[in-house]
Parts: sequence; C-alpha cells; structure tokens
Amino acid sequence: MADVKSLEHPTLKVPYEILNKKFRTAQKTLDREVSHVQQAAVEIENEISTGNLQTRDITKLLGGMVEKLQVLKRKADESIGEELQATSVCKKRIEHLKEHGTTSATGVVSQGALNQWRRQRLDRMLVEYFLRNGYYNAAITLADRSNIKDLTNIDIFLTSREVEKTLAGRETHKCLQWCHDNRSKLRKLKSNMEFNLRVQEFVELIRGDRRMEAIKHSRKYFPSFEEEHLITIQQVMALLAFPINTELAPYKSLFDVKRWDVLIEQFRQENYRLFQLASQSVFTVALQAGLSALKTPQCYTENCENRNPACPVCQKYLNQLAEVLPFAHCSQSRLYCHISGLPLNENNQPMMLPNGHIYGEQALEQMAKDNNGQVVCPKTKEKFPFKKVEKVYVM
Amino acid sequence: MEGCCAVEREVDKVTTKFQSINEHAGRTLQDLVLYIENLKVELENAPEDHELTIGQKDLLAAAMSKVKETISRLATDHRDLHGTVSKVGKAIDRNFVSDFAATSREDVFAGQEKLELINKVICQHFYRQGMRDVADELAKESDLQDVEFQEREPFTELNHILDSLKDRNLEPALAWSLANREALYGIESSLEFKLHRLRFIELLKKGPNHQTDAITYARTHFRQFVDRHEKDIQTLMGMLLFVPNGIGTSPYGGLLLDSEMWMDVYEVFTKDACRMLGVSVHSPLSTCVNAGCTAIPALLNIKQVMMQRQVAGIWNGRDELPVRVVTANYQYIVFLRHPCLKIEIDLGTEARYHSMFACPILRQQSTETNPPMRLICGHVISKDALDKLCTGNKMKCPYCPVEQSPNDARLIYF
Repeated sequence: MADVKSLEHPTLKVPYEILNKKFRTAQKTLDREVSHVQQAAVEIENEISTGNLQTRDITKLLGGMVEKLQVLKRKADESIGEELQATSVCKKRIEHLKEHGTTSATGVVSQGALNQWRRQRLDRMLVEYFLRNGYYNAAITLADRSNIKDLTNIDIFLTSREVEKTLAGRETHKCLQWCHDNRSKLRKLKSNMEFNLRVQEFVELIRGDRRMEAIKHSRKYFPSFEEEHLITIQQVMALLAFPINTELAPYKSLFDVKRWDVLIEQFRQENYRLFQLASQSVFTVALQAGLSALKTPQCYTENCENRNPACPVCQKYLNQLAEVLPFAHCSQSRLYCHISGLPLNENNQPMMLPNGHIYGEQALEQMAKDNNGQVVCPKTKEKFPFKKVEKVYVM
Repeated sequence: MEGCCAVEREVDKVTTKFQSINEHAGRTLQDLVLYIENLKVELENAPEDHELTIGQKDLLAAAMSKVKETISRLATDHRDLHGTVSKVGKAIDRNFVSDFAATSREDVFAGQEKLELINKVICQHFYRQGMRDVADELAKESDLQDVEFQEREPFTELNHILDSLKDRNLEPALAWSLANREALYGIESSLEFKLHRLRFIELLKKGPNHQTDAITYARTHFRQFVDRHEKDIQTLMGMLLFVPNGIGTSPYGGLLLDSEMWMDVYEVFTKDACRMLGVSVHSPLSTCVNAGCTAIPALLNIKQVMMQRQVAGIWNGRDELPVRVVTANYQYIVFLRHPCLKIEIDLGTEARYHSMFACPILRQQSTETNPPMRLICGHVISKDALDKLCTGNKMKCPYCPVEQSPNDARLIYF
C-alpha cells in the first residue's frame, strides 16, 4: 500500500483540480444568472412603485422573468451536473486504487489480481509518459487497448495540445484564452505567462515593422504588469529603437524566434503546475528507482556468464540506461543456487565444487543421487564425485 | 488503503451535497417558475389596459422579494459547498505524497539518446505483450528506427500458445514442444512430459471405457521419458488400477486437481520457453517499474530523514564516501567503490537475479577486482579484506581461531 501512497498523488489530485475548477465555473455561472433574475425583479419592483401600472406591461415583464428563471434552472442543472461528473471521476479513481489491496474470500491478497492491477498501473504510467512527450496517438491507442481512459488525464493533455499547436504556429490567442480561463489560479502561482505572451506579440509587431501598432499594443497591455516587470518592459520598449537584425544584447535575444519554443515549454510547465503534476512523469521516476534497485555489478561484467537473461538490467537497452545510476545497496550477502534458484542459507547450505563454483547443497545432493554420486558443474561441465564437495561459510 | 478511504469519504460527502443541491435547486426553481406563471395568468385574465390594484401590487411586490430571496439563497448555498470541495484536496495532500519525484534526478534520463532508449524499451515491452498497434504507433510518433527485437516472432507464437493453454487446449503447446524437443532437453525441461501426462490424465478421467486409449497413449508417448521420469510414469500407470472405481477417491486423487495441473503446465511452459529462448519470463520493463514502485516509498523515507539531518542526495557519492566498519576483531575505514543507493530495497525473492556476495568485513559487494575468497576454514571474505588481514605470510581468520597462509585461500564463484 505504501506504493499507492507515494505514487498516486497525481492520479487523484488532477481530477480534484478539475472538480475545483468546475466548481468555480459553476459558481460564476450561477452568480451571473442569479443577478439577471435579480435585475428583472428589481425592474418589476420599480415599475410597481412608479404607480400607474397596466396589466399589459406587467405580464410582459413577468414573462421575461419566467424565461430568465428557466435559463437559471437550466444552467444550474448543467453546471451541477458537470460538478457531479467531475466528482464521479475522483470516485472512480479511488475505487481503482482501492482494488490494489483487494483480498480474496480467504483474506489473502490474490497474486493474480495484484499482477493485473500492476499491469494496469504500468499502462497508466505509460499513457502519462506518452502524453507528456507528445505521443498522443500512442497514448490514445494504449488507453483504449487496456481500457483505462477514465484513469488517465488524456483530456487535459489534449486541450493543451491545441494550445501548443497554435503557439508553434506563432499565434497567441488560444494561449491567452487559456490564461484568461485560469486567471485566478495562475495569479496564485505567480505565473508570468500572460506577460510573456504580450511581450512576444509586441516583438512580432516590431518584426513586422508595424511600430505604431506596437506602441498601441504596449499602451493597452503593459501597464497592468508595470509593478512586477518594469525593467523588462523598459527593455522591451527599447526595441522600438533597434533594427530587427541588431547584434546588441539583450535585444538580439528578444528577436530570437526560439522564444516561441521557450513559450511552449513554459506553457507546458505552467499547465502541469496548474493541475499539480510534477515536472517528471511517474513512469520515469519509477523506472529510475527500479533500475537502481535491481542494478548489480554482475550486470556489467565483461564475461556474459554472470549475466542473467531474466534480469532486466542485463538487457541491452536497459543496461545502457542504467549505466549512470547507482547500484543497489547490498551490505548482506544474498546468495542463490545457480541450479535450483533457491536461496542459500542454513537449510540449503552453499557448497563449493573443487573448481571453486558454489551451488546449493540440496541441488547437488539431488544431482548426486540421480547420477551415481557424480555431480556436474553446470557452468564448466566438469564432473566431480560428490565426496569432493566442501562447505563454505558465508557470514 | 486508509488514505484512499479518507479521500473517498470526502468525495462521497461532496457527491451527496451536490446531489441534494441539484435536487433542491431544480425543485425550488420549478416552484418559482410555476408561481410566477400563475401570477401572470391571473393578471392576464384582466383586460390589457387594466390598472393594477393596490392588492395586486402588494402581491407582486411580495412575489418579487420571494424570488430575490430564494435565488440568492441558492447561490449562497452553492458557494458554501466550497469548503466541502476543498476538503477533498486537503485529504489528498494529507494522505498522498506529492513530491514523489524527489527521489530521482531529472538529468539522468535527459537528452535525445536516453529518450530513444526508453522508447525502445517501451516498444519491446508492447511487442512482448502482443500489443503491436501501441508499439507501432509509438515508433511512428517518436521517430524510432530499428528497434532491436528479433524475438518478435517467437513472442507472437508464445502468446498464441499461452492463450490456447488458458482455454485448456494442449495441441499448440504439444506441437511446439515436439518441434523444440532437443533444445528443451538441453535445459532439462520437463515440459513435454508434463503435457503428455496431462493429456493421459484427461483420458483416464473419461472413465473405464477409455482405458485402452489411455494405455495406447502411454505406450506411444511415455517410453522416451523413461530415463528422467521413471517414477512419475510408474505413478501414472498405477492410476489405472483405480479407474473402475474412480481415481478421485483413490490414493492418486490428489494428483487430479484440475486447475492446479493446468496452472502448473502454464507456468512451466512460460518458464521453459522463455529460458530456452534466452528471454526473461516477465517483461523487463514491468519488472523494473514494479521494483521502482516498491523502492520509491523506502527512498522517500530515507530522503526525508536525510533532509532533517541536512544531507543531500540519496545516492552514495561518486566521491567515495567513507564508511566505518566494525567487526568482532577489526575496525576499518573503507571507501565504497561504486556509487550505490543508501538503503537496501527488499524486492522479494522473485526480483533477484544475481547472487550478491557482500564481504562481511568490508560490508561491500564483491567485484571482479575484489572477488570472494574461501579461507581454509571455509569462511568467505573478499580479496581486499584478505590482503588487509595479512601480516607477513600469515593471517588469522576473523571468525574462527584458525591461522593460515593467505596463499591457501581460494577464489570462488557464486
């Protein structure tokens, strides 16, 4: 269960953030529609107090009010419905996480169910990894194949893909819209995304030699950022005085088209922060930890005899990946019999053949029994009488 | 689990509250609409230019204040749910670790080359799982070329055979083991025998009428296994004694547990086939990630402890950290040669692939340059420790009173 606690924070936090956002939107919608009805009520009240009121006017006003009430009703229904839907996503994910500890009728954790859960976990992690790296089709295919769409955050990544696309096409409107939608949250995160976008627009206007428009643009948008970004604003305004191909720092860098890529990267990071996603994917974190926990010096020995085809770190690609990672810590010997795979301990003592190779007592005894007292070293194929086998003591 | 339940409780609260506010809003708004509409109908009964009486005006004014009050309460009620919603977030933060990434270093997997390696590993994983479409899609999108995976074909075949075994169909597995008989024999696999045995038992279970079939089957197929499975064959043939009265009640009844036998064959097939092909039984990627998921909680713990003591990094340094070692007889300062994790991760017995000998004196893993040595008395220490324990041409075993020459110690291989 400790792994769920340590790794599943984003699994729940992301749908929570969505729920929270839905809640705020719903509140806004409700407030707006309520104020519309209030206005209508105030209007009617005013009419009443002015005196000479005719049925014709009042029924018209009342009709308008009924309409507004109905709009309110519809909107309330929609918004709360969305909130409920977001809540049910949270619920689904909790239920999935709880399956991790499912016990069978006899009270033991069933290995099969656990393995199944782990397979799904790996698929979930991979979907997230794909999304982060922009492999959207692979992510969607995988989510469909293993039927885990509800457990992944495909939707928010697909939305952000749209924004990234427009930024790559050097357009800012979608990203600005995104800033607007998440304004209060971004302010809390002290994001300067919007400012950077405005600066970029300004730069683009100058690049297009529309300096008058640039000035207008700056008048319109820059004052609201004055407090925090005054120095940057001054620098940017100075651009007006320079040619586009200036070699002067920092103006040259402001004209650099790579700034668009920086914006995309910034957008990604801010979007992660908005949904409280860590900057690294769970998958790479787990892979790193796993490789380290499995890595032994044997995986890197020159002769391949010590490598184990079942060991992940002995596989070609993973071996290269793990190269820079630390080894597993081992302060106590953990020995296994090469023949039976059983651990070597007081019940299965390690025994040395005359050629220096160590195997388990049980396996050697069995081999001797089947072979008229002869044992064969599986590594060197040498034959020895069982009598020549000696004990070793490993502390 | 407790954490999940805590969050679930909060989520359930939110659900109930939203549901009730939804019903409430629907109902009150519907009532309001009806109320106003009635009022309207009532007024419409009068002629169009009829002037409102004082009574009607009062009625209207009352209606308006009711509308205003009801709907503003609605908005307030909804706003009040904010607390309940944010409690969910707090419960998540309290019960789950948000900075799980603290254990890893971002730079380790940075760069195009590493990205490509990771993607190749993932591709192999999906080929293995028989999910070609995912692998192909990934290879296309990440612009991967030449993923090394010659074993693609055998895996397709293996997946097919395993699927048939799940459906209790022995044919494909038998055909495969026949085709690979020699290789299987080489790794001392009992797969083919076990398949035949299962088939034989299935025949016996059909009752006395099929006895002859069973005997014929045994005569055709069991002879070749006599050198390695003589005992088993005797047992199997012994079963024939009990066929008329039902084997289930005989001393052999225990051998007939259906699901167990099939499970066993399934396992043996997976294990032996993978071993024969020189590939691992589980996908390396999933083994790794599962190991990582076990390791991360432990690593997070130690990280926290170290943060409190203001030590940085969960890697034992490249810059060789000194470690003090105390044994019964000696005390040393040694240097760790390899950077390694600060704590031991217990991955269970399944995920152990290499024997690890840690020198009991130096408390470090043996390496090619510092291999394990067996002293005359049978105790094993590392070569470096042996060198350090020598005085002249003599040394005393650190664990027993035997004095010996270090030249008598011999190199051993685990």
